[in-house]
Amino acid sequence: MEGGIETLLWISRISLLFCLLFCLYYLLRIIRAGRPRDYAKPSGSATSGVRYAYTGAMHPGRKESAYLHLPTYIAGLVYHAGTLMALLIFAWWISGLGIPAAVQPLIAILLAITAITGLSLLIKRAVSGKLRSLSNPEDYMANFIVSLFQLILALDLWQGNISPILLITGSILLIYIPLGKLRHCVFFFAARYHLGYFYGSRGVWPPATQKLSQHG
Amino acid sequence: MVPGAYGHRQRKNYRSMDKPVKKQKVVSGPYRLNGDDGKLYAHLNSCVHCGLCAETCVYYLATGDERLMPARKVDLVASVYKRYHTFLGRTMPGLVGARDLDEAMADEMVDLLFGACTMCGRCSIHCSIGVDISYLVRTGRSMLAEMGKIPKTLQSSVDLALSTGNNMGITEEELRDTLNWLEEELRDETGDPEARIPIDEPDAEYLYTLNPREPKFFPLSVTAMARVFHAAGVSWTLSSKMYDVTNYAYYTGDVSQAATIAQHMVTEMERLRAGKLVLAECGHGSRALRWEAPNYLGHTFPFDVITSVELMSDFIRDGRIKVEKRQTKGPVTLHDPCNLARTGGIWKEQRYVLSQTVADFVEMHPHGIDNLCCGGGGGQLAMSEYNERRMKIAECKAAQIRNTGARIVVSPCHNCIDQLMQINGAFRMGVQIKTLSEIVADALVSESNDVTT
Repeated sequence: MEGGIETLLWISRISLLFCLLFCLYYLLRIIRAGRPRDYAKPSGSATSGVRYAYTGAMHPGRKESAYLHLPTYIAGLVYHAGTLMALLIFAWWISGLGIPAAVQPLIAILLAITAITGLSLLIKRAVSGKLRSLSNPEDYMANFIVSLFQLILALDLWQGNISPILLITGSILLIYIPLGKLRHCVFFFAARYHLGYFYGSRGVWPPATQKLSQHG
Repeated sequence: MVPGAYGHRQRKNYRSMDKPVKKQKVVSGPYRLNGDDGKLYAHLNSCVHCGLCAETCVYYLATGDERLMPARKVDLVASVYKRYHTFLGRTMPGLVGARDLDEAMADEMVDLLFGACTMCGRCSIHCSIGVDISYLVRTGRSMLAEMGKIPKTLQSSVDLALSTGNNMGITEEELRDTLNWLEEELRDETGDPEARIPIDEPDAEYLYTLNPREPKFFPLSVTAMARVFHAAGVSWTLSSKMYDVTNYAYYTGDVSQAATIAQHMVTEMERLRAGKLVLAECGHGSRALRWEAPNYLGHTFPFDVITSVELMSDFIRDGRIKVEKRQTKGPVTLHDPCNLARTGGIWKEQRYVLSQTVADFVEMHPHGIDNLCCGGGGGQLAMSEYNERRMKIAECKAAQIRNTGARIVVSPCHNCIDQLMQINGAFRMGVQIKTLSEIVADALVSESNDVTT
């Protein structure tokens, strides 16, 4: 049993390395590709636009996708925070570093909550006709595997030991991240950079107040 | 079948303008899906199918049709990318929704990317991730252009622009006749027998462009801007050869043809040696010439390009023209052209102009960079096969206007004006539709403090 766990630990570590290297490859490829050269004379600041893209533009009050769908948006934020936390803790744990026993139950509870938000988003995708029509099998799979990973990690943290099922799930997830839609964890930042650059150079972002009218 | 495998369609010889067109290096090829273009690479890999963009789109809002959600349009382009450029897309296409680019797929792309998107960019600015959806739609259109799948109705506007210099095929003689008549109108309206509409005059401060709809259907908007120039006392000219501010090749996605049309304008600026190029009230024309054309041609223009909206705003601010607030029969509202406000950053200027020229102004909700598209953008007005869908989505704009209680709707875009006029008729709105220059011209005060009208 001990030998089996050790093997799974090494598989997890290799999976982590695979994931990190692949994400690094994406990052380098994004940087190397750069952005299309813009010969138009700017009317605003691209730098300010990029800064705003990562800050003010992320504010729920600024995006219809957020303020018209606040429960979903909040669930999404919690879920993503949970995923990041889960991956960091998993990486920490399989690296042989200890997690203080006192905080393990607290983290377990937090991860259980984030896993539930993930599952709620999965249920929404399955129930909503609009989302069903947009979804392919991978959309369900990605959501399921991440939520499952969070849930198993929560259970293991609650019990205080690493289970084989966590290592298997974690390894699958780490290999899947760069291959499937979860690679947006890298591309998201690049997309926001390009959007910020576009709107910034055109003087759209950051927006000035729009209340110039007499009637408001 | 891979992107581009349909081969290049046969192109006509479009070199029928008076001046030979310089051979252009086309530097922008947005149909390349292989990751050479970092912007495209990022946006293609970012959509997570959250579906939160649906309500930002007038097509979805008006129809409730899930097929018309912005994310579905992204997915069409991204699914082709995935099929040929990702591991899972190549090995397990069914799992990740990767699709072959076959005839059926191309037809679906034509219907959704040409026929169900105005490229207004509202979905992009509100996307939870930050995917530039209209950029991907434009990329999809470029792919379809490579495949010879541009709707003929839209392509015909481009063909006319390439063969005659304007998208309505107006002959030079026809234009000169119209402008001569308008010059007489201008003299009557200003009371100045020396007032002129200059044509082809070199070394003017401003070369003013037109939307061909103006000389063809709305000639009085030409007079309105001529009155503004006259009141400002600046030197300006129109061109008889290349005055068309529009560039429908921006909408077809054919970068090569877009570059050719843009080069015509640059050549004309060089010929007339004007100081600044002033873009008529046209959203997509402003975007195409101000923002896209330098990239089509691969160099920064050696002259400034400004919109007439900015020019009028500057004239008023600098005291070059005197205006007074006019009382109107009911409030005035403003429709922001998407390509001017949301993707051009020009929304304060028209508000400033209206704050100086009308007494009773009311905003639509939403407005400015969040404004809803009128439904006429993206080349929709040129594609008659999608008329029914275009007028269906116009319900959103009609409701917006109704909610303001306005009696006059102003829009600094002739394309929007055309759509707004159709909305006015179809939905029995009973409002007046005006350009911004018409509002300014009506508010002009002569040196003797008399209203000029």
